[in-house]
Amino acid sequence: MKILVLIKQVPDMEKVKFDSEKGVIDRKSAGTEINPFDLNALEAAVQIKEKVGGEVIALTMGPPTAESALKEAISRGADNGILVSDRVFGGSDTKATSATLSAAIKKFGEFDLVIAGEKTVDGDTGQVGPETAEMLEVPHVSFVTEIIEIEEKSITLVSEIWEGSYLKKMMYPGLITVTKSINAPRLPSFKMKMQAKKAQLISYSLEDLNGFLAEVDTGFKGSPTKVKKIVVPEDTLRECKIFRDGFDKAIEDLYSVMNEKNLLN
Amino acid sequence: MEYKGILVFAEHNDGIIHKITYELLNKAKELCKTKEMSVYAAVFGEIETDINELFYRGADKVFCVKDNEFNMPDEMIYTENFYNVIKIAKPEIVLIGATTFGRSIAPRLAAKLKTGLTADCTELKIDADGKLVQIRPAFSDNILAHIKTDTLPQMATIRYKEFEESKSDENRTGEIIEIKAVNLAEKVVEIIRKISSKEIDISEAEVVVSGGRGIKNPDDFKMLEELALLMGGVVGASRAVVDDGYISKDHQVGYSGNRVKPKLYIACGISGAAQHIAGMKESDTIIAINNDPSAQIFNYADIGIVADMYEIVPQMISYLNSKGGLK
Amino acid sequence: MRKEIVEKLKAIVGEDYVLVNQEQTLGYLYDETEELLRPSAAMDSVVVKPSNPEEISKIMKLANEEMVLVVPRGGGTGLCGAAIPTKTSIVLTDERLNKIIEVDDSNMMVTCEAGVTLAMLIEEMNKHEKLFFPVHPGDEGAHLGGMVVENAGGAKAIRHGIMRNHIKALEVVLPTGEIVNLGGKLIKNNMGLDLLQLMIGSEGILGIVTKLTLKLYPKEKFTGTLLISFDTREDAISVVPEILQAGIIPLAIEYLEREIAVESAKHLGETWPASVGNVDLMIILSEAKEDDLYEKSEEIVEICENHNALDTLIAETSKEQHSILAIRSNVYTAVVHDAADALDMAVPIASIPEFMNEIFEIANKYGARTPAVGHAGDGNIHNFIMRENGEMPSYYEEIKIDMYKTAIKFGGTITAEHGTGKTRKENMELQLSMREIEIIKGIKLVFDPNNILNPGTIIDAKK
Repeated sequence: MKILVLIKQVPDMEKVKFDSEKGVIDRKSAGTEINPFDLNALEAAVQIKEKVGGEVIALTMGPPTAESALKEAISRGADNGILVSDRVFGGSDTKATSATLSAAIKKFGEFDLVIAGEKTVDGDTGQVGPETAEMLEVPHVSFVTEIIEIEEKSITLVSEIWEGSYLKKMMYPGLITVTKSINAPRLPSFKMKMQAKKAQLISYSLEDLNGFLAEVDTGFKGSPTKVKKIVVPEDTLRECKIFRDGFDKAIEDLYSVMNEKNLLN
Repeated sequence: MEYKGILVFAEHNDGIIHKITYELLNKAKELCKTKEMSVYAAVFGEIETDINELFYRGADKVFCVKDNEFNMPDEMIYTENFYNVIKIAKPEIVLIGATTFGRSIAPRLAAKLKTGLTADCTELKIDADGKLVQIRPAFSDNILAHIKTDTLPQMATIRYKEFEESKSDENRTGEIIEIKAVNLAEKVVEIIRKISSKEIDISEAEVVVSGGRGIKNPDDFKMLEELALLMGGVVGASRAVVDDGYISKDHQVGYSGNRVKPKLYIACGISGAAQHIAGMKESDTIIAINNDPSAQIFNYADIGIVADMYEIVPQMISYLNSKGGLK
Repeated sequence: MRKEIVEKLKAIVGEDYVLVNQEQTLGYLYDETEELLRPSAAMDSVVVKPSNPEEISKIMKLANEEMVLVVPRGGGTGLCGAAIPTKTSIVLTDERLNKIIEVDDSNMMVTCEAGVTLAMLIEEMNKHEKLFFPVHPGDEGAHLGGMVVENAGGAKAIRHGIMRNHIKALEVVLPTGEIVNLGGKLIKNNMGLDLLQLMIGSEGILGIVTKLTLKLYPKEKFTGTLLISFDTREDAISVVPEILQAGIIPLAIEYLEREIAVESAKHLGETWPASVGNVDLMIILSEAKEDDLYEKSEEIVEICENHNALDTLIAETSKEQHSILAIRSNVYTAVVHDAADALDMAVPIASIPEFMNEIFEIANKYGARTPAVGHAGDGNIHNFIMRENGEMPSYYEEIKIDMYKTAIKFGGTITAEHGTGKTRKENMELQLSMREIEIIKGIKLVFDPNNILNPGTIIDAKK
């Protein structure tokens, strides 16, 4: 079984600072980590490998420093990593990112399964998985919470969709996105961590992807959605409006809050 | 042919139209005030759906694709047929609810259409140049990004319960356009069966009504549950009452329990120990009911009611019922 | 409580800030002390919530005039019953003294009111790029004032010590009502006897802390948590002195028996990451340079492998490290409902292996189970005497005394960090001489001639 896992290096969300006056995000002070949902994807892949054998390759698009995320993936059980990196890939939206990742997967060759996290904590879109599946012309199953059976030609899964759970059987090759509840990602083994430091990663530039990806389809040029403005909402201090009597008024106030928030059934 | 009009995806499950559809129709109508456009809806399935309701709620034209295949959440079949509808309807804007299913088909569809897609928007506007401005939170809701799309159609998924539903106007009518279903040659995903319906998880609930030491009897949680249900919410609890065995630990909110971030948090008879505050202070709006005016919880609340919860909660329930809050 | 006293209290702090209704006071009458051990609270106690030291001063003067008892209270996270009013008392909570007054970057100190929680301080320090406060006793709901008077310890004592090592200044309302300022932002200060140090660990019997200044330390950029699994307790414990002898001083070396770690994780809805073996060492490292972090980790792993370590995991993301620490911190809460007593003994670190062997032998002798976790790096082990069928076991007193005597035999203490309070004072004579105990009584009465501030805690100081 050949499994590719899509990972993204994201800032540590607990440490990112947001400046509401200037509308900027300070990622520098934050440090980076693998997107937490991608750790579930990686864990799912490693568990499949442990069950039926095969190979797990972590794939990321990012700056050269994203190498550390791939090495971390190796310390958590991946066999190798592919870094897709080129200056022209900068400024990619989900369409350009998916185009680039799917090109890298085509370049890599045959695979059975691509596993992605449900979404990333910085972009929060959850779009790259299904978009990549479409560009690879393979099926996808989203929000997978459980893997039931791994068969020779297909995988049976539980997908949480349509306000319920559905049992689905997907033929290979295909792509799945997984939720947090699918597993508890393992910690890196210290031994593997030390070995991963010396790992020889695979690396693709735009030139390497020649024949699979055109420059117009990647990076800023290949991104139809453009961020025009960023607003950082100010932290609102709560000012408690205290009612000691006149509770009818209090309940009316409460009702209008519920209405505002569209909470009533 | 030029791209024109707004197309709304009319998501349904077992023939019941998802309410996000009416919210999107409402927003679509509102956008038409800035720019003159027609409002379309696309509905898939051999169902009893009252298509007229889509007209009553604001659609001018409904594209209807009938087939039994649409009774299951099959992203591939939906994408193929949705693609077909868009090729025929040629809308300049496509709005899809950011439900789990919407978030699963929209990217696939956008990729097939080779157009841009903006995820999980909370506000939409038409700019001076007639383009759609899509506003969405990112970085775990810490920022709001304003996004515009270069390609057509401009596609966005929209968060549920951000907009109001449109009112039903039975005098409205419109045109039904039936489109033949295209079936996939080879089925690559087989949907074996539905296993269960989703239960609300407290950490994802939009409304949490919690009880603390002010609760005198475990049975009294029923009163909180009744209030919570009126808003589609769930019941939470402070550690004190969980430790006393009043309610199971799944309901515990706090440092050693669930961390919740609902739109509305109602704390009943909770004093507000640091342990509890750590689990709920990120909630959008916090209402505290406690008969101790010095309770710490009031320092974290937006509305504080200094009274006995046994007096206030029933009043709230009957008030909401009188306003027709119940489903 | 007499009605006229309630009225006088209301006149001091305002009507809203005096609670008499039992439904409202109940949350202020107990701390986290083991249920079977804790003394009963006097249910007719009242709660007052003063907002400044002047109000506290007035309350103390009133208490002396009327001869009513006062029990000071912080976050209620204590484990020795110090905050439980066993006789009708005014329970004085510092919850309204909750401001962080100043973070002094140049002197590397922070000044807070006593009711600031550890969680608030951590959150504040997270906003500061360079500085942090090291003491972490577990429950982040603890109030800093309470951490001062309980001289809190916790996991990170090996490198950074305990509360006592970081307190530079205190504002205290004495039992007789005077407000005094002890210490200052000084490194050297030799005037008189050091009352500041006397106040630390005094468990609320010598005064009520209202404001404090703590030392801060530069943050180190690279942190990692190693989780090293062993088959046997002996192997795990024996590496601890060797790591320290190698000149490696981690932030923490924690010993956890798997059964407890798994239960604590489950209680939080998380998963304990280690699965092979039976016991784990959790070692938190913090270094200025990345290379140092890995070099020291490699050295530790090598020592552990020489002692039959089975596997080593490393957590480096803040989330994963936080999760492991949270599981460790939650052990007490997760296990306490099955425990009769959570012991708090400490011995010199070199004696830990032998000490623990003897503790387990004692448990065997009584046919008891004594699951343990501990701050192995600083000699402080917490082993539990478990309930039997939900009840206090019949052999409880004997097994406890046997264990206490063992700790003392190794030059250890009965209580390393939880405190004497009301639950351990009976056993003080095992560890201290009569003359020492007399002096403690004398000091108490010099501070509090009427013995009205938290009497019955640490000692019974009859006149």
